[in-house]
Amino acid sequence: MVNPILDPTGAAPAKSAGGRAPRRPLRGARVGLLDNTKHNAMLFLQEVGRLLVDEEGAREVSIVETKQNFSVPVDDEIVSRYRAAADLVVTGVGDCGSCSAAAVADGIAFEKAGLPAAVVLTDAFTTTGRMMAGVQGDPDYEWITTEHPMAALTADEVRDRARRLLPEIVRTLTEQAA
Amino acid sequence: MSAPDPDIAQEAIEYAYAQGWSDGLPLVPVSQPLLDRFLAETSRDPDEVIGHMPQVDREVTVRTAAINAAMAGCLPEYFPVVLAAWEGLMRERAAKGGGWQSTSGPAPLIVVNGPIRERLGLNSTGGVFGPGFRANATIPRAIGLIVRNAFGVRPHELEQATQGIPGRWAICFGENEEDSPWAPLAAELGTPGDAVTTTLLRTSEFVDNRHTQDPEQLLGDFADTIGRSGSWIFRHAQVGLVLCPEHAERLAAAGFDRRGVAEWLAERSGRTTAQLALAGKDHADERGVRFPRGDGDPDAFQRTIADPSSMLIAVAGARTAAISMVVRYFADWSGGAVPIEAPVAAAVAG
Repeated sequence: MVNPILDPTGAAPAKSAGGRAPRRPLRGARVGLLDNTKHNAMLFLQEVGRLLVDEEGAREVSIVETKQNFSVPVDDEIVSRYRAAADLVVTGVGDCGSCSAAAVADGIAFEKAGLPAAVVLTDAFTTTGRMMAGVQGDPDYEWITTEHPMAALTADEVRDRARRLLPEIVRTLTEQAA
Repeated sequence: MSAPDPDIAQEAIEYAYAQGWSDGLPLVPVSQPLLDRFLAETSRDPDEVIGHMPQVDREVTVRTAAINAAMAGCLPEYFPVVLAAWEGLMRERAAKGGGWQSTSGPAPLIVVNGPIRERLGLNSTGGVFGPGFRANATIPRAIGLIVRNAFGVRPHELEQATQGIPGRWAICFGENEEDSPWAPLAAELGTPGDAVTTTLLRTSEFVDNRHTQDPEQLLGDFADTIGRSGSWIFRHAQVGLVLCPEHAERLAAAGFDRRGVAEWLAERSGRTTAQLALAGKDHADERGVRFPRGDGDPDAFQRTIADPSSMLIAVAGARTAAISMVVRYFADWSGGAVPIEAPVAAAVAG
């Protein structure tokens, strides 16, 4: 009898897709921002928040938090806080190995909890984002991609970037995926 | 040993490649009898979970670690060292905080103390950072395979190293206790005997200083390497030293112990704000990255090392020349050593 070759991976738990949160108009919405600590991320998110309120009719930026650990996806407690305080979430900016993957997982977790989410990653991390979407059981999850790098931009360039991405962020937050 | 069938061996090796399990080099195909020999080297339950990666919600058990260690080419008796090294890494904030996925592509530094070095043939003298010794090569490789297979962190996928560091999954050696003027590293950390000390490295940089007897000139040479701006991204940058015996002896003869070396270097390693401004790194907030702000006192001296007690100082290498290595941490070091489980049979007898 031949001994089989043993598998070194352990059994990976299979996760199930959670789907998308229902969309709502931006008018009157409370905006949540989740900063992943990366350089320029908070400035970018605050500018997006300001534009959503000043130009897109959102009511307010109602919750702003900075992740304690940029590499680990949000837990139920954080998701609950955002669900209680906000109607939608913008998060990022994924521009490192672990934080980009985690940001994708965050978006999937928010959507699963019923919160429309816009996740921003730089284009250097598309592959790792896609891998994480698969790990989370949602391989087709869509996020917003921007040019790498973000960390070296000046404050004005970050604000320009926020304005340029605004239409896509609005579409992501308000339009039901096809 | 009877001559094995090479055709069957090749088939098994290619099978393992095809599964995506390999780090690029051939793997030892693992069968249940081989796994059993590894598990017999520890009293721990094969189902015990010894690591969880929250980023992907994956776990590693003693059994899975043993399969990977066997695949890496370890002998069964190396397995307690692999387990201790793994436990040490799991204590490191950086290993749990996204280090395996990082653009830095960090490598574990694994230093082994105690009589087990001799029993396993673990090199602690000439060429400790290089190849040539089965235990030195396969123990860190086992760690890399656990990360790859049990956690599912593979290059170009969840692992995002921009370049990675030379020696990744290959830096493991015994401390050269016999030629060290000081107590064994792990013993000084409170764990005498067989023990592993480990953290994640960002790189290693040699300091060749063999034409002076002055210990402060030697330390100044280390300080210059430690203080260079390229390695700084946060307010401070943490480092250790792997001293060759000659350097360690020169320092000990001048009255330095590990603590004295660390304090001297913490005080003098760094750059002025003006020097850092040339690299666009003159300012860092308490938790943030360095960036150009241009408003600091240009003559102010900024220290590289925040806390001298964070310096891991080991002695390894041959007596052939006065060449040491500054080892630069990926993040920080938790500052402890992990005991290596005694052989199971001996534990029962004892």
